[in-house]
Amino acid sequence: MEVTVRIPTPLRSLTGGEEAVKVTGATVRAVIDGLEKAHPGMKDRLLDDKGVRRFVNIYVGEEDIRFLDGLETALENGQEISIVPAIAGG
Amino acid sequence: MNTFRTDPQRLAQKSALVVGVGGLGCPAALALVRAGVGRVVLCDDDRVEAANLHRQILFDERDVGRDKLDAAFDTLRARGGTARGLERVHGRLLPDTARALVQGVDVVLEGSDNFATKFLAADACHLEQRAVVHGAAIRWHGTAWLVPPGGAPCYRCLFEDVPMGAQAGCSEAGVMGPVVGVVGALMADLALRWLTGDTSAVGSIWSYDGKRDRLRASAVPARPACPLCGQRQIAELIESAYVSGICTT
Repeated sequence: MEVTVRIPTPLRSLTGGEEAVKVTGATVRAVIDGLEKAHPGMKDRLLDDKGVRRFVNIYVGEEDIRFLDGLETALENGQEISIVPAIAGG
Repeated sequence: MNTFRTDPQRLAQKSALVVGVGGLGCPAALALVRAGVGRVVLCDDDRVEAANLHRQILFDERDVGRDKLDAAFDTLRARGGTARGLERVHGRLLPDTARALVQGVDVVLEGSDNFATKFLAADACHLEQRAVVHGAAIRWHGTAWLVPPGGAPCYRCLFEDVPMGAQAGCSEAGVMGPVVGVVGALMADLALRWLTGDTSAVGSIWSYDGKRDRLRASAVPARPACPLCGQRQIAELIESAYVSGICTT
């Protein structure tokens, strides 16, 4: 499955400024592994040893993966994944 | 995105607390005052710095070094505010003052630059059954969302707890003036909608991407395990629970 991952501004330093990247994977976990291969350092920003970091939210389409199957959420071709990190500032 | 549907008579009876008179709080406070909110309380403890001026639109060069609240008060009065309708709380939102401060208003707008204050505002508003609008911006990205009184989903449904470590400073990350202007205005929009009885924004977080000029709403479901609105494990504000660095990347 090829999906589009929307990269939030704080993480674009890892993608060379790319706002969206195409990644292949059957699950969210596989897509994050794919992200890590293409953009080293991304996995550590998204996951810790317990799973998705507490201050990061991952959406498949409009759905938070915590309310789906978490990292094992199955993906369909063409879906969009959004990463929403907690931010403070202004 | 909606347009303002303000009701002057209704708004004149309403009140708002603006926590942090910075890049988000400045445009939000101005919009609330100009919309006719009867009582706007400003809370901050900083002084105006030259580095603030590109985004903190209530201040200009003559204000550098002044107390932010005094400078904001003067500007807001000159732009339609009244001495009676503007109040200043010199200091930070703290665990021992937060509940009393939020209890005295109809809605809280929280545009703080640190996570501790964000979680504190969320908890205090939940415990005092007050609506809160959370706003944040860094670089070209910003978010705003409305949490209803005692409501779900709440800030802890999405971000769980105060992050420890691994936070970079705002000065390194940077904050774009136009982005905080948009997000601050959006915060005011959400607050005005709430004050005029429009609940349609509850349950979504708005994200603004200033590089692509894209504004999108994402649904935020209430989380049953949330310690604030789900399990209701947070019954008081304990100072040690609100310690963190500033900003994150």
